[in-house]
This record gives sequence, structure tokens and C-alpha cells, in this order.
Amino acid sequence: MGKRFSRGPDAPGGASRKRQKVVHEAPTHEDVHASRQLSQLLAFDQDVARARHGLQSFKVFLNAMLSSSENKNDDNSSDLDRAGILRDYLRFVQPRENGGPEGDEGSQQPYLPDIMQTWSYANQTNNENLMSAVPVVLALLLKVLSRSLEMVPYGLGICRTLLQKRQLELISRNLSTDKGKAFIISPTLRLLREAVSFDGGAVAKPLFRARASTFKSLARNMGIVHMGEEAEDEKKPSPRTTAVLFFLSAIKFLHPEAKKELVSQRDVVAALTRDLKQDPPYLVLELLGRLREGVLMDEKVPHEAKGNLLNVSTLVRISGLYQYRQTEDSKLPSIADAAHEFLVTACTNPSCGVLRQDQGFYPRDIDLNAVLPPAELEELGLEAIVWMNRYKKEIPVRNFTLSNFLPNLRPWASVKQSDLVTAIFKVAPELVAGFFLDNKSFTFDPKLSATWIGYAAFLFKTVTLPLPEHFSRGSGFPQLPPPLVVDNILPLPLSQKALVRCLANKSNMVSFFATRILVVAIEKLDAAAKMYQDPSHANEGLWVEAARRLVDEFCQRIPGIKDMINSYRSIPEADILHREAASRLLRLCYEVTPQVALLAKFDVSPFLEKSLGQLSEQKFDDPRDFAMSLKELENLLAIAGYSPGMRWFSASEALTLSPFTMLLKVCVDAPNGVSLDGIRRVLDFVAVEQQLVPAQKEHPGLLPLLEALQVLSQSSPELVSHIWAFLDNCLTRCGTAPIKYLEMMQDLVGELDSNKTEAVASPLAVTLLEQLPFAISAGDKEVLGALGKFLPKFFGLLVTGGESRPLLDAIYAKIAALFKSSKAKLAHKKIPGDLAFEQNTWPPKERRPTRIAKDTASSNAPSTSEEVMDDEELQNTLDTPDGLTADNSALVKWATKAVDELIDDGYVASLIKLLASEHASIRKEALVNILKAAAKIRESEHEEKEQIWLLLSELAETARAGHIESGPLPSTGVAFACHALAVLRDPLSSLYPKINQFLARGPVWNLDRLPLVDEVLLEEPAVGDSYYAQVNWLLGYLLDGLRTPKDLELFHKRRARGPVLERVLVLAGNPFMRLPLRTQVLRLLYRITGIEGGSTTMTTRFGVVNWLEAQEKACGEKEGDRQLARLYRGLKGRVWRTCDKERVGEWSKGGIKGLCEGDGDV
Amino acid sequence: MADSQPRKTDKEVASEFTSYYLQRATKEFAEDLDKVRTADDFKNDAIHVLVNALQQGTAMFSPEEQRRVVETELGK
Repeated sequence: MGKRFSRGPDAPGGASRKRQKVVHEAPTHEDVHASRQLSQLLAFDQDVARARHGLQSFKVFLNAMLSSSENKNDDNSSDLDRAGILRDYLRFVQPRENGGPEGDEGSQQPYLPDIMQTWSYANQTNNENLMSAVPVVLALLLKVLSRSLEMVPYGLGICRTLLQKRQLELISRNLSTDKGKAFIISPTLRLLREAVSFDGGAVAKPLFRARASTFKSLARNMGIVHMGEEAEDEKKPSPRTTAVLFFLSAIKFLHPEAKKELVSQRDVVAALTRDLKQDPPYLVLELLGRLREGVLMDEKVPHEAKGNLLNVSTLVRISGLYQYRQTEDSKLPSIADAAHEFLVTACTNPSCGVLRQDQGFYPRDIDLNAVLPPAELEELGLEAIVWMNRYKKEIPVRNFTLSNFLPNLRPWASVKQSDLVTAIFKVAPELVAGFFLDNKSFTFDPKLSATWIGYAAFLFKTVTLPLPEHFSRGSGFPQLPPPLVVDNILPLPLSQKALVRCLANKSNMVSFFATRILVVAIEKLDAAAKMYQDPSHANEGLWVEAARRLVDEFCQRIPGIKDMINSYRSIPEADILHREAASRLLRLCYEVTPQVALLAKFDVSPFLEKSLGQLSEQKFDDPRDFAMSLKELENLLAIAGYSPGMRWFSASEALTLSPFTMLLKVCVDAPNGVSLDGIRRVLDFVAVEQQLVPAQKEHPGLLPLLEALQVLSQSSPELVSHIWAFLDNCLTRCGTAPIKYLEMMQDLVGELDSNKTEAVASPLAVTLLEQLPFAISAGDKEVLGALGKFLPKFFGLLVTGGESRPLLDAIYAKIAALFKSSKAKLAHKKIPGDLAFEQNTWPPKERRPTRIAKDTASSNAPSTSEEVMDDEELQNTLDTPDGLTADNSALVKWATKAVDELIDDGYVASLIKLLASEHASIRKEALVNILKAAAKIRESEHEEKEQIWLLLSELAETARAGHIESGPLPSTGVAFACHALAVLRDPLSSLYPKINQFLARGPVWNLDRLPLVDEVLLEEPAVGDSYYAQVNWLLGYLLDGLRTPKDLELFHKRRARGPVLERVLVLAGNPFMRLPLRTQVLRLLYRITGIEGGSTTMTTRFGVVNWLEAQEKACGEKEGDRQLARLYRGLKGRVWRTCDKERVGEWSKGGIKGLCEGDGDV
Repeated sequence: MADSQPRKTDKEVASEFTSYYLQRATKEFAEDLDKVRTADDFKNDAIHVLVNALQQGTAMFSPEEQRRVVETELGK
């Protein structure tokens, strides 16, 4: 503990106003051996020297106790002695009448009355030495007492004594004494710190209540800093250090309400951090830790109070700690790290009171719910939105604290500050655009310096930040698109001019950094564009326009394609990282911003050839370099896919093989572990496109060739090297003149049996046969030897791949004959059977995404019948019998039955169903009988007689009002009555209340509306979680009620909440809906397809084909989902078959036909 | 192609890829890096900034892509 040396004079005789002479006279002291001696030493004495002697002796005594407890080597017995002396002394001076903690503090006798009296006397006489000495010993005493459980009551007594009026005045006087008198202020603050934390903060609350005295001049005292060149001595802390430590202890032990008040004192908060940069490291760490735990993370401290503490200047001062000079040998944790952690929490955790919920890319003053009149939007488009171009100079934000704090950071100069700024951007996206708008002076003009690189890294990180959800961080997209999106994707410093200069910079690293930023920016643009295309937008046209504008603005900000191509061209061959990034940039341009990419002609072939050459030469020492170069190749291949002029089958001067064969060679030679999927897809695509292989879905494409080469390469690598030239010749010939080989194959097929006309084989196989004689006549033994091993494998794999065995046998027989005529040896005389794919997976787990050529696609491909449900199965699954057919005999049967039987055995229901009969006489009879049955039921003892009577009576009234003599009652009404009757029989049904409410509404039903649709779909299910049960009931009655075109009219009639059919379709859009309910909806649709004009109406008015298509796409890969997808496809086919094709075709401009026939189900 | 070694965790892959990327970048831009080291503003934190700037490009590669690169084996 710090020791204070008395610097002030002894001033006996009171408050002399004269300038006092400074006397550095240390007080005397003596060793204490007994409690009686101690009480004598501390007894009140007006003789200042004696009083100081006593206090000093006590101080030495207490210090000895503290140091011995800290130093365990000390003599334990003397320590025990001292503790005994102290205990006896405290017991001796303990006030007798103080029984407990309660009672009027003012009237209570003080603990340590002599010391308190000395303090009071010092105050009266203005003796500063004593004014300092008393709090010194009291602070020490509390410190000693806090270490022993049995002494705690004495300590608490002393603390309470301090809270008495007289002592509070003394504390207040000490605290507010002249600024230069640190020897008085510091011990007093130390005393308060001991008191506030004593016994786990037992008196913290009353101590804070007396804050007028105890926290007096705190802000000022926090400003009394250590002066001098050397660092502050930890054992002699300045008043500032002591004051801050007292404040932090208070924060630790005070309750949230008090903390709130404490941090609301502006002067204290300001003083707390004003001199932070000069504070000793332990104090800074303590401050950051305490504030974090005690305020920031304390959920009970209100946000507002936290905000008061974490104002802009506090944040700025803490951020000053990033440059805190800490000695390198410091054992303490890094201050910069602690400050960083603190700031990240403070600025990004919404519960810390700084961060406010913003509106994403929408500035503060935009109302997200604003809706503009549709007519205006239609006429003016984006121009109708007045604020769209408003934010060029200033962007109003909600996070003004953060917005003012950010410019004080230097993200380009330190990684941590860059992390902090981007972390803030992430949680408050509204700040991004504004940050760069306000920092215009900082340009991105290239310069090979640490600052530029730091800035580039910061911009890269900013661009990689995710887009806020729905641009607004809301649960859905606002009606109107946001402004400023381009500035958020491509921050303002990234101007076209600066970027062009970066790409053209002679330093490769500068252009590398710029390229990387552009790559992530285009990727972000792509993500944003997808959000603009979200189907949930209310003003779809407007969002489309906004997306177009966004892409246009973006394209104007990035360098032209020529700059990018030139930059790519200038990269040295060995710089694979750079080449990968640059090729990726070009690829993204083609994919995301084709308007930029197509501005210049880019012949990718030379780059591709160079890359292929490099890869096939295997020049890499590190296999990872190979994989990285492969990424470049993939990018180039993708670009080649966008360039129709790519010459796959013509070798340039630089290359011995054509690019296609080269690519194949790269695949065969690739090291283990390299994923070649992307390249293989390209090879396959080209092979199918150029008709090297058949284009059927189930054909393995180029895989047999690749597999054969790979297997050969594994067993004898040197053999493969002899094949390439011959193979390239064949591939090139086949690729450039496929028709010739197709015709040759047709001739071969003609030679087979007549029933094999559909035999399929790769045209490449025919090319090999055709070219073989030339290889034989050339007589290169090595080539022939290699071919002798390769051809059997290749043909064997073609058979495994599903090609026609007879046809291949025929070709192979000719090949064998050719070999026989030469001296070369063919490994197998016949095509080896059962060759399995070892290097590649076949058959594939997923279907290969190749195009189907119509001329070769078999009309009854097996997959078709598997994936689409046929009509019979569809009927079995979805067709339901008409629920309203009834026997006319019901009219007489009921009369002889008991009431229970009438209701439970369906006699009444049968009567009801007759109201939908085609014959007027039957309907009339039914009506009369329903009334009779109702009367009979009412007179019975049936428990639900009243309700059922009401239902039947209302039904009869409705039937009468609906003129049933002229036409049947709508099936929906009849079905409703039947299903309602079933509910009324069971009072436990969840629908019981709703049916009764419906019946109570009036005597006649309006059957123009379908009863209970709104009640079930919109209202809460009155009983528990019975929503789905009620929906099931509703769908059941709707299904029964849908039989005639007239019924269908009720389903598609326009209504306030949309047509019923539309609402049913929406219902099935619920992804959580179980299969039975979903099937029920599909049954309804199936039923409609059976009604005249039903499919046409569903297609043209409700887009049911697209709906089915969407549902099908949403199906997963599980078995159940696959079945469901089949069902959807089957139903789609049925809709098409049963609709008015001409009308629908015209309406959809042939689109529906394409959708339905694409599945091959027609 | 069968994996002969146990599969690396995503964390291992990420750290291995980062070190590869950094090593590769330092190699490719060695000349420029030397120039930066002699620039006036190259002090204090600059080395961290530089390293961080170089390696942040790993963010452009998905975890799968990183794995592809890292797990490529030497030779055949």
C-alpha cells in the first residue's frame, strides 16, 4: 500500500492565513506490544506531535501486519500477536451501546472515537499532517480488517462511522482541499475505496447515497495526474490513479441504478478517460476490464446510461490506446489488444448503448413502409422516388456516435483499427457510404507504400462485408429499392480512374490488390442483383429498373475490359496467384457484367493454350501450385465457354496437340487429389456439342475415354505418351467432321440385324477404326503397341457405359482384323466384358447435366416413366369418389329409423346430399323430409338436438331462398352441411365453436361465399393447436363441394381476400405442411382437371402449371420428396392434357407447352 | 481417387492454405515488397498490415477450393 510522507507543516493553534513554512519533519513512532499501549497511543491528544506519534505508531504496526501477511516467510507468531493486540484494542474501543447496524446513524456512537476526534481536531485546527494521517491509518486498518472474517464486524462499524454526518464533512473537506495537496486527497480516496469494497460492498449503497460528500470533487481529483519524466510509481499512485480506482471499485460494487447515476455525471465520465494515455498500464487494464464487466456487459444498466459513458470522446480516447506505449518487457497483457476488444464490444454489441438499429442501406430519414401510388410508379419509375438521388453529399444516420467516432480511426495504419471499422460497418451498414463520403481527401491513387497497401486491405475487407438482409435488415424487402447501393458495393475511393491506374501500375502487387478488390466487388454486385430479383418484391418492375441502374452505375465505375485484359496479359507466367485472380476477374465480367465484357473482343485461345501447355508440362515443384494453376485454367475455360469462336480442335503453332486433347491430357496427368470436375464438365460439354460421343442423358460421355487413358497411365505411363498424337488426330477429325462418322456408323448399323437400327455407339470409335490403317502403315511399333492395350480397354468401357455391344463388336472385329494383318498385337481378340470404372464414378450419383439431342433421344427413355407419374397411378393417388352421391331411397329409409341412427348412420346426411340432385322433384322431396327429420330430432332426447335442428332448419331455409325448384343447391353448400353435421355430433371437435357461431349468425346462408373459409384460414384456431386439423376439415368439405363448373366458379370468383382457389394454392406453399394435407390440395386440383374448362381456368387464371413447377423444384432428394416431385410432374401433365391447348398455348406464347412437354410426359 | 491420408479438418485446411497463399504471394511480389520496406511510412505496425493485406486474399477461396489446393499430392 502506498505510503504518504507528510509534507505539510504542523499547525497548532488553528487556521493561520499566513503562508506556512514547509517543514519536512517525519513523525516519530514506537513499537506496539500491547493493546493497552495502543489505546494510549491513539487516545485523543491536543498535542499534535503526540497525536502524530500515536497515529504513526499505529500505521507502522498495521503496515507490519500487512507486509507479514503478504510475506509468508515472516515470523508467524509475531503476526498472531499483532492480530491479538488489534482485536483487543478494537474490542476495547468498541462503542458499548451500538447493538446492531440499525438505528439512527447520527445518534450512534462512533467506532474509534479517539481517532475520529483527532481527525475533527485536525480539521478545526487546519492541521494538514493530521488531516492526512487519519485517513491513512483508517484506510490501512480497513485493509487489514478485510482480510479476516472475525474482524469484519469491526470494519463494518468503522465504515458506518465514516457515514456519520461529522465524518462525512471531514471526508468532503479532505477531498475538496487544495489541488496541490495530494497527500490529503489520495489517502482519503484510498479510504473510500477500501470502504466501498469492504465486505463485498456491504456499505457501497449508503456510501453512494452520501455522494455529495464521498464523491465530492471526484472529477477534479481525477485530473490531478502524476507529473514528471519517469513513469508513475505503482507504490505512490497519483490522486488521479486513486480516484479512478475508487470509481472503478464503486462500479464493481454498486447496484445498476446507482451505476446509472454515476456514469451520468458528465464531468466524472469526461475526467475518467481524459488522461488515459498517460495512465500506468495496470490502471488502464483495470479501467477497461471494470467498465466492460460492470457497465457494458451489465444488462441491468440501461442503454441510455451506457451511451452516456461511451460518448464520442470516450471512444476516441480509448482508441488513442492503440498507440499506447507499453514497455516491451511488460508482463501485463497488451493495452492495444485490451482497448481493441473493449471497443469492438462497445461498438458492435447492441446492448452496450452505442450501436443503434439502423435501416441497412436505407438512410435514417426514409420511411421503409412508404408506398407510392402505383400509377405514379408506373409512369415515372425510379424518378417517382424523390429521395433516390438525394444523398450525394450527406447521409443521415441513426448511429451518430459511431459516425462521429469513425473518422478518428486510422484503418489503413493498423490491422486492429481496420478490423474495428469493418466490424462496425458490418453491424451498422448505414455508415459505409457516409464514411467514404466524409473522407474524400483520401484517394486510392496507387503508390507502393505501406499506407496504400493498408488502405487497399481495408477497402478489400469493406467490400467483402455481407449485404444487409433485405437491404434494410428487416424481415422483408421494403416497397421501394434502396439508394446508394453502388457506393456500398464499391466504396467511393475506388473510382474508375484510380482503378485503371492501379491495374496499369508497373508494380505487380498494386495491380494484384486492385484485381482482388474488383473480384470481390463483382461478386457482391452479383449477390445484390439477385436480391433485386427476389420474387417477393411488391413493385417488381421498379426493382428491375433499380437493378439495371445499379449494374449500369457499377459498370461505369470499374475499369474497362481492355484494362483488365491488358493487366492479365502483363502478368509473368510464374505468378500463378496473380494470374488466377486476374482470370477470375475476367470470368466474373463475362458472367455478371457481360455489357462490360463484350465491349472488347477477347481471344481466350492463346491464354488457354499457354495455361494448358504449362500444366501439361508439369513444371511445378509444389503440387499446390498445380492446383492453383488449374483454377486459372478453369476460369479460362469458363470464359472460352462464353466465346463462341473458341477453336477447340485446331492446334496452334505453339502447341503440338489441339486444346481439346491438351485438356484431356491435363486431366490424365493431374496429380492425385486434384478435383477435375470443372474441367471434365467442359470436356464433356464440348464432346457432346461436337458429337464425339452420343448426347443421351444416360451416356457417360467422354468418361470411358478418360478412364481408359487414366488406367493405362497408371499401369504404364510411357504407353500413354505414344497415343496422344494418334488420339489427337482422331479427336480432331471427329470433332471437325462429325457427320461423316455418324454416316459411317449408320452404314455399320445397316450391316447388323435389321432390329438393331437404334444401336448407339460413340462416333469416336468409328474414327479410331478409320484412322487405324494409317497408324499401321506408319509402322511405329510403340504407337501400335500402346494402341493394342488401349483399344480393348476403351471399347470395354464403352460397353460398360451402355453403348450397343453388337455395334461395338462389329467395329472391334474390324480393328482386330487390321491388327492381325500387321505384326502388332491386340491385347484382347474380343471386347473384354465387365470392365468397371475405377478412376471415375459411373454410373453417377447425380444425373449428368448434358444436353439431349432430339434426333438421338429415345422416345421411351426409361427415366421418363420413372420420373413422371402416369395417368393410372395419378388417378389411384389423387382421384376421390364423389362424396355427394346419394341414393334416392334415402327419402323413405329415414322415416323408420331412430334419431340416433338418423344422425350417426348417415341417413340425415344422405337426405342433405339429395339437395344437390339434378331432379327438381327429388330436391323438393328432400327439402320436405329434411324439415320433418329436423322436427323429429328436436323432439328427441339427442344431446345435440338443438344444434342439429338449427343446422337442418337453416339449410332448408337456404335451399328455399336459393330456389331449389329451379336448380340444385351449390355442392359447396351441401358438402358444408354434411361436414358440419359431423362436427356437431362431436362437441369435442375443435370446429364445434366455429360451426355454432356460424349457425348463430342468421337463418339463411349466403352460399355465394364458401362458409368458414375465412374463419379457418385467417382466425386463430379457438382450440389449442388444431390449425392443421381444421384446415384438413376445410379441404375435405371443399373437395366434396367441387363437382360442377358452377361450383368451380365459386372457387375462382374474385373476393376481398382473393379467390378461394388462390388461397388454397397459397396454403400448400407452406413448407411445413405435411404430405396428407398437401395431397388433399393436389386432389382438389386433380378434381378440377376433371371439370370442364377447369384446367384452362387454373392455368390461365392461377398459373397452376408454374405453381406445380415451383413446388416440384422445391422438392428435395429424399425418397418421399422424389415421389412428391413425380406427383407434381404427373399432375402438370394432366393439366396440359385436359386444358384447351390452343387457348393456353396462345396465352402463354407456347411457354406452358414447353414446360409440360419438356418432361416427356405427353 | 482414394484418400490415403486422414481427412484434414477445415481449420487445418484453412491455416495450411493461408500459409501457402502467403508464401506464394511473398514469392511473387518479392521485388515490390522490398520496395515497400524501404518506403518512408514503413514503421510500427506496417509489417502486420502488409502480412494481413497479403493473406486476406484467401477470403476469395471457398473452404472446398482451399481443400482442393491443399490436398493435392506430390507426384503421382
